Amino acid sequence: MDGNGRWAAQRSLPRTSGHRAAETTAIDVIEAARAAGVEWLSMYAFSTENWGRPSAEVDYLMRLVRRVVRKHAPLLHARGIRCRFLGVTDPRIPPALARDFADLMTLTGDNRGLTLTVAFDHGGRRDIVEAARSLIRDGVPADGVTEQTFAAHLPFPDTPDVDLVIRTSGEQRISNFMLWQVAYAEWVFPPVLWPDFRAPHFLECLHAYRQRERRFGGVPPHPNGELRS
Amino acid sequence: MTDAGSGIPDSTGIGPADRAGDSQRPNSGGDLAPLLGPGSQFDEFFNDPRWALAVVRATVLEAAHPQIGAALIDNSTFVAHPWRRLHNTFLSLRRMFGADDNVRHREAARLNRLHARLNGTDARDRPYDTMDPEARAWVVATLFESTVTMFRLSGQPLEQRAMERLYAEFQAFLAVLGDEAGQLPATLHEFWRYYDRVVEEELENTEAMRIILYKLFDHLPAPPLLNGLPTLWAVGRAVGGPVIGAITVASLPEPFRRRAGLPELPGVQTLMQSAYLAVGLARFMPDGWIQAENIADMLALSPDSDDPRARTVRALHQRMKRVGAFLRLVTPFAPEPEPGAHGGIQRGAEEFFREVLDQTGDGYLDWPDLAAMARELSTRLDLDEPEETRLYNAYADWWRELQSALDADGDGRVSAQEYATGAPSLAGPALIRVAEVLFDVTDKDGDQRIDADEYRSLFQTAFHRDTTATGGAYTRSAFVKDFLSFMSGRQRSTPYDPLLAQA
Repeated sequence: MDGNGRWAAQRSLPRTSGHRAAETTAIDVIEAARAAGVEWLSMYAFSTENWGRPSAEVDYLMRLVRRVVRKHAPLLHARGIRCRFLGVTDPRIPPALARDFADLMTLTGDNRGLTLTVAFDHGGRRDIVEAARSLIRDGVPADGVTEQTFAAHLPFPDTPDVDLVIRTSGEQRISNFMLWQVAYAEWVFPPVLWPDFRAPHFLECLHAYRQRERRFGGVPPHPNGELRS
Repeated sequence: MTDAGSGIPDSTGIGPADRAGDSQRPNSGGDLAPLLGPGSQFDEFFNDPRWALAVVRATVLEAAHPQIGAALIDNSTFVAHPWRRLHNTFLSLRRMFGADDNVRHREAARLNRLHARLNGTDARDRPYDTMDPEARAWVVATLFESTVTMFRLSGQPLEQRAMERLYAEFQAFLAVLGDEAGQLPATLHEFWRYYDRVVEEELENTEAMRIILYKLFDHLPAPPLLNGLPTLWAVGRAVGGPVIGAITVASLPEPFRRRAGLPELPGVQTLMQSAYLAVGLARFMPDGWIQAENIADMLALSPDSDDPRARTVRALHQRMKRVGAFLRLVTPFAPEPEPGAHGGIQRGAEEFFREVLDQTGDGYLDWPDLAAMARELSTRLDLDEPEETRLYNAYADWWRELQSALDADGDGRVSAQEYATGAPSLAGPALIRVAEVLFDVTDKDGDQRIDADEYRSLFQTAFHRDTTATGGAYTRSAFVKDFLSFMSGRQRSTPYDPLLAQA
């Protein structure tokens, strides 16, 4: 979800209005993903590094997110979307917001449609460190640590590996996003800024992904989807 | 009053031969089995939802008896832990009116031991004794009369035969408790005169009665099942509490209302009769929808328990949580959550005092609070003598230790303030002794380990993960350590919280 600030700057608006415009995109993309049959959708809303932004902007974001969550909660639930929040450990997160996150997770926990993971106060490295701590606490011997057991100690261990990462506004970095899960992900970098990103852009990205040949480090024939003959 | 011998009055004309309807039941056990087993009138009424109203009414009438009222005020946990109390009452009734004579006599002995420990003096220095035969007869009389009234108020009075049969059953109930026949009048005809006399002459506007009518329902803590919905519970209670109070007042005998100075509100008579009628209609719901006992159990059951029904409770609890989450999300101005209200592992001193120590909910820690803990534990473990007395004695020693350490102003009891000041000195040798005795009585087979079954009988749940590491049993030292960290370190604990802190 990059490019909110630039979007606002291009229009000589305050950065906050860029964040506000992002709400429409987020809802549009969730709906497009659901309609396209995507089962797992993750959005990177706020990184552990974002705390470094000016405190007025952080405060604004916290209030905005709370408003968005509350506004769309009934709709998300009605659509059968299961919502989760990845991260959310920093004590600077307002308790009211944390409770809304928890409430939305509780409310939608049994839904079996699209699973929407919102990475908020998320850092991929921190998750890996936490998994390592959890392994040690459980007294798993060194030989017992495999990729599978390690992955089982990550937050939301049922989350499958990421297939496709879409990073808007032309940025081409990983920025500490779900490091473990993106190991074999395909990446697309549409130049459009997040507030301008809409369902058609999303479908273009899905199409681009389907054209890719996924090898998982091996040799070709492991076609992804039925498009190839 | 004539001695009715077996407890079945001859004049009612109901002997075993008269019971054509249930004659196929094997007539085993003593004379009382036919009156109290399955197929009894009581058994038939047991799941009637109107009981909820009738039992409240009966409890108010009991509490208006000076002796019983004083005993309730001093000893009962119904204010602070009403759901646990309700659950225990149903369990006891099930045993008393169940099919098994041995269970019945064992339960009667347990009730007698329990009540024998409850005596003292009331606020006006009049002695009370829960073993007083007259007071005990009155408890049974109110239950009987409230059952009859429950039918009358909902417009389908019991037939004379059914009423007589029910009366005989309640007389038999009293007889199983070992009370001499004759405390209740021999015939139903005489009963009404006795009842009117007690209502007119003996009942008082006691504090216990006022608490039940005006305080209990306004402050009723949420049952464990609805723990996640404090706001919803508070709203429902604010509306429901006064209504239940008003309905109960309206259903009390008129002479007593006048003497106790209870208010007459316009329209409440109609409201009361409609309530009985409406609740009575619920019995036309499909079989098994209303099982008084199941409802009482479910309300009291902690979702953490591994009782088979807990799965349903857990599912219900999940749904309740979801409703709560939804309501909070759509409420425009959701209140800010109190910081650390439920999160911390350790309770504040005041919170621990309120949730665990002050079992009677009167704001002070006194012997009856600790006796209530001993009572709850021995009920859970289904203790016989001499184990029960050992446990009580350990608690009594602990009480003396607490009193000398904490009672700064020497008024014989410990206030929340005194507790908060002296809390660090709570873990003395007598508390450790309590832990050890509790271990001994829980360890029924005496192998110095608490195995899965013994653990379950105390906590009603299976071992948790941290105990399985030690080879599937709980050692004495681990048990004592956990108990102490709950009681003196005020640690929240998965097994102990449902046992002693839950409403």
